[in-house]
Amino acid sequence: MIGALTRPRARAQEAASQPVITMVDVGMTYPNGKVALADVNVAIPAGDFVFLVGPSGAGKSTFIRLLIREQLPTSGRVIVASRDLSRLRRREVPRLRRRIGIVFQDFRLLPAKTVFENVAFALEVTGAAGSEIRRRVPQLLNLVGLQDHADHLPTQLSGGEQQRVAIARALVHDPAMLIADEPTGNLDPVTSWEIIQLLIQINGLGTTVLMATHNQEIVNAMRRRVLALEHGSLVRDESGAAYEREY
Amino acid sequence: MVFARFIGFAVVRAWQGFWRNAMMSLAATATVILMLVLLSGLFIVIAGLNSGLEFIESKVGVTARLVEGLPEAQRNVLISYVEELPGVQSVEYVSPEMAMERLREWHRQRGQELSFGGSDPELYASIEVSLLDPGASRAVSEALVERREVSEITTSQDAYDKLLGIIGVIRTVGIIALGLVGLTVLFMIVNTIRIAVYSRANEIEIMRLVGASDSFIRWPFILEGILSGLIGAVITIVLVAIVWDPIQPILFDVFQMETAVSAQYLATLSAIVLGAGLGVSALGSWISVRSNLSSTT
Repeated sequence: MIGALTRPRARAQEAASQPVITMVDVGMTYPNGKVALADVNVAIPAGDFVFLVGPSGAGKSTFIRLLIREQLPTSGRVIVASRDLSRLRRREVPRLRRRIGIVFQDFRLLPAKTVFENVAFALEVTGAAGSEIRRRVPQLLNLVGLQDHADHLPTQLSGGEQQRVAIARALVHDPAMLIADEPTGNLDPVTSWEIIQLLIQINGLGTTVLMATHNQEIVNAMRRRVLALEHGSLVRDESGAAYEREY
Repeated sequence: MVFARFIGFAVVRAWQGFWRNAMMSLAATATVILMLVLLSGLFIVIAGLNSGLEFIESKVGVTARLVEGLPEAQRNVLISYVEELPGVQSVEYVSPEMAMERLREWHRQRGQELSFGGSDPELYASIEVSLLDPGASRAVSEALVERREVSEITTSQDAYDKLLGIIGVIRTVGIIALGLVGLTVLFMIVNTIRIAVYSRANEIEIMRLVGASDSFIRWPFILEGILSGLIGAVITIVLVAIVWDPIQPILFDVFQMETAVSAQYLATLSAIVLGAGLGVSALGSWISVRSNLSSTT
């Protein structure tokens, strides 16, 4: 059942030679003159699991905002799923965002909606049929282990469970890439590891995962590719790396 | 199918939003009703006056009171003379007896009995000149004034001009008042939708992140504003339909003429009220959505 939720691994491997994210000489300077990113060059292949680390104000949030086209770079090119985001027409943006799932530290669930409704909402607002919603939402709740909590409100769930709902919602359009912005920032260590296990499982199904984090323990234990930002510059891009103490 | 789902989604969300923000929504609806009642009132009064105007126009003629004791031969000379004047359709002699009978009939139609308290006054004899063209009224009057058989001239031209002036004033004042109330309605709806947008900022952000298109994000808010206009229009139409019959005699009493605001006019007025309610509310919510919901960046 889980296999049906994401693109088959074979397809992911086939696409692996094609980067799902490419940044070429990307710079971002805000109107007040603050340089958020400068000359960033990155290529992330499909199926990769990448940590984005750096101190507060290093440019991690800007990096993510550029990927989901909340902002456009002031210089350089950002290419996501083979689309140059600067050339993307306004009406094409929603379709791009369906190719990218995103979760946040504060979960951003709708408090008045149940677990089922929160996940279903992401399908409803994109015009999905009722039959598709009834088929897809239980599959996703199974994937994140919340099939028995479908009727609960977010306030009746633990932090870890709420983050699982947010992950299920992020996966609802079967995205090519999942961006997790400090997903364990509000969670205790045990729960944090449960969320990481879930992200690894999702990555194993072929979805590229980019996780911004300050969690040194997790980065060190995982030994995956690490992109380190400092003062808007990419100071390290290393596979199998550890979190470095200067952050 | 996607379009049908979009419509369903937008309508349901608009309805939920309307009641979630009930206080503001109902206040906006109340201002819509105020505007539409004013609009209806103005249309009814103007339609009544216009219809009165038509009535007068059709009756514009000249009545010449004849000198007392005018011999029949002289009267016939006068009638022949008037019949030859340009713009004259016909000339009718009204004897004192016929004038009295008309007066009695006018009172009878209003359920009253004409009484002179025992005395038996005699009315004046007159000729009534019907015109082919209401514009000829002045020339015919001037021609009659010269005649010694005539003691006094009355014409409905003055009443016609006066009514035209009144209609002009009512129309101007009404349009200004409607404009002011219309602006208030716009302001209310813009603010109602602004509050709705702010109170659902989280939902809007999530919708954007999961790839909802601008239409899915914006239209529920636009429809929410239109709902105020629709509900306001329906309530106003019902109110107007309820008071329609009772106000007809009042209109008659006020304007002292056959206003004849027809029942078909009620249907036309309903369409105007519905169009105005929907139009103003759609404009208000569109302005609000444009200024408070930035497009996808």
